[in-house]
Amino acid sequence: MALPPDLQFYFMHFMPYADLPEDHAKYESTWVDFPNKFYDPVKGKKFYDRYFAEMVLADRVGFDGLVVNEHHSSPYNMMQSATMVASALVPITSRAKICVFGTPINLQYPNRVAEEYALLDVMSGGRTEFAFPLGTGMEYWSNATSLIPSTARARFREGIDVILQAWEQEGPSTFDGEFYSYRYLNSWPTPYQKPRPKCYIVGTGSPQTIELAAELGFGYSVVFIPIQAQLKTFEAYRAKTQQLGRTAAADDVCIMVMAYVADTDEEALAEGKEHILYYFDNMMRVPPRFLIPPGYVTNEEFRKRAAAANVHGTADWDTLTANSRVICGSPETVAKAIEGWVEEAGTSRVICNLHLGDMPHWKTVKNLTLFAEEVIPRLRKAGVSGNGAGRPAAVTAAAS
Amino acid sequence: MPSFERQELDVNGVKTVVLSAGSGEPVVFLHGAGTMTGFDFALPLAERFRLIVPIHPGYSESGDDPSISSVHDYVLHYLDLLDQLGIDSLRLVGHSLGGWMAASFAIEQTKRVEKLALVSPAGLRVPESPTADLFSIPPEALLPALTENLEIFEGKIPNPPDLDFIVARYRESASFAQVAWERIYDPKLSKWLHRLTMPTLILWGAKDQIIPAAQADAWARLIPEAQVKVLPDRGHLVLEETPDALAVIGDFLS
Repeated sequence: MALPPDLQFYFMHFMPYADLPEDHAKYESTWVDFPNKFYDPVKGKKFYDRYFAEMVLADRVGFDGLVVNEHHSSPYNMMQSATMVASALVPITSRAKICVFGTPINLQYPNRVAEEYALLDVMSGGRTEFAFPLGTGMEYWSNATSLIPSTARARFREGIDVILQAWEQEGPSTFDGEFYSYRYLNSWPTPYQKPRPKCYIVGTGSPQTIELAAELGFGYSVVFIPIQAQLKTFEAYRAKTQQLGRTAAADDVCIMVMAYVADTDEEALAEGKEHILYYFDNMMRVPPRFLIPPGYVTNEEFRKRAAAANVHGTADWDTLTANSRVICGSPETVAKAIEGWVEEAGTSRVICNLHLGDMPHWKTVKNLTLFAEEVIPRLRKAGVSGNGAGRPAAVTAAAS
Repeated sequence: MPSFERQELDVNGVKTVVLSAGSGEPVVFLHGAGTMTGFDFALPLAERFRLIVPIHPGYSESGDDPSISSVHDYVLHYLDLLDQLGIDSLRLVGHSLGGWMAASFAIEQTKRVEKLALVSPAGLRVPESPTADLFSIPPEALLPALTENLEIFEGKIPNPPDLDFIVARYRESASFAQVAWERIYDPKLSKWLHRLTMPTLILWGAKDQIIPAAQADAWARLIPEAQVKVLPDRGHLVLEETPDALAVIGDFLS
């Protein structure tokens, strides 16, 4: 099977507060109740300056998109408002799509999400894409208790309806729902892209979410389940889309890759592995009770998850590389691995996590530059015969 | 000692299991947010009354009702159930969450409730002695918080907990969250407790770590005819811990 001709590479940043205290391991969780006395805003400012510079570099070396997301009450992620971070990216980048993947809409009024996302789309001249996550269980512990976990899914579903109506139906309109009602739903602005920017649902593999994405005409993205299970979700998504009389585009599903590139496999492992492990061991350390607040999943789903091992915070390299798209290697090695993952997933969209955990700036710069200059062209060449070098090299040349 | 007879009823579409024992005046016992120790501890009441223990929707053997979002919904559910059982007047006992339900029921149905016994009741906001947030207590800390007398769990819960047990606790915790995730009390309850004009007993374990016994005074201040009994050395599961607590209730209801 050949690679798709329109392979896209998006650079995703978690923007972690990667400066945990030495004794952080004595805390059961780095989410929800990890004390914020460990947050130093002066260090926070330095992290932002550095991380934004990395995003700008990713734009310049030719990544097709820049992906931000949102979490709360954790050093895992310093983007408590993903839209605010995305907004800051608008004037300092020029070509990459700005992807908010995304704000858990249950944490906001959905009309406000519709407005903010439309605002971003207009400010950026139509450079945005959005993904809609339910929000991890942890977000439900650290936000207002009026947000009841057992109603999260129904509320989420209705919130999306509000947003789509605000974007696609001429306002003012009315909305009468179980969770939200509007007398005048009338978003100023409306999106720059018509009828709307490309949207995804982010899921963890539940059939209802896959069907929802297909029904809404959204793409589908899946996180935190093993590769083989992810591939099954893609099949289900495509089958459902087919059933609805459409054909899913190659970039309607995306895969996430965690990679570190160096000149040789040995060098890449020596330089990259520790930071990827740091991410899994420390940034993802969450006890089961925070992962699943009461009512957040059905009893049947809870039974499945309770029977499986809690992988959060207990990484070992072999399991990680067997279940997840994690690779450290030479450009050849990394390109080959990604080629295989792209082919088996039948996708044209690769989201690249090239900064992880406590990776220092120099390694991040080296990694994303080598990825853009050495890995992407190899894959584009494999996908597009006779089309010369890939876009990144051309853009790098233009930018340098 | 009498034993329970089990009935399975359809209450407005929700499977509701009702345990009954004994004969005489009906005593309805509304249980708390956990059912892991069963209800045999209540059987001595069946020697003097017709004891009825309905299992709340969302708990133990009863079915789920995702539409329940408040204690008031439980009150309406039990009005339906009492109609089905043909019970008009009753003596009402409630423990913890069940105490909150019982107080709410009695506020709305003053004339039907002849006597009311509230055991470590939840539902009242007492800022100076707040109710512990059950949701935030790590699973391993829960049992010791419920009682110092851990022997009461022997033979009743698997040790170590098995998957069925863990799933059952998740389900009950989710059911409790439907009515108590936002607030573990009813902010308006204090305004209406004056309607509890029937003889009312407030019973508490002095060492209750979930709902402090100091809350008993707040209930007593707001209820016109309340008598308070605080049993020393007992925790939140005061009824399971020693038989004398149930004897106090039996004497009060007679």
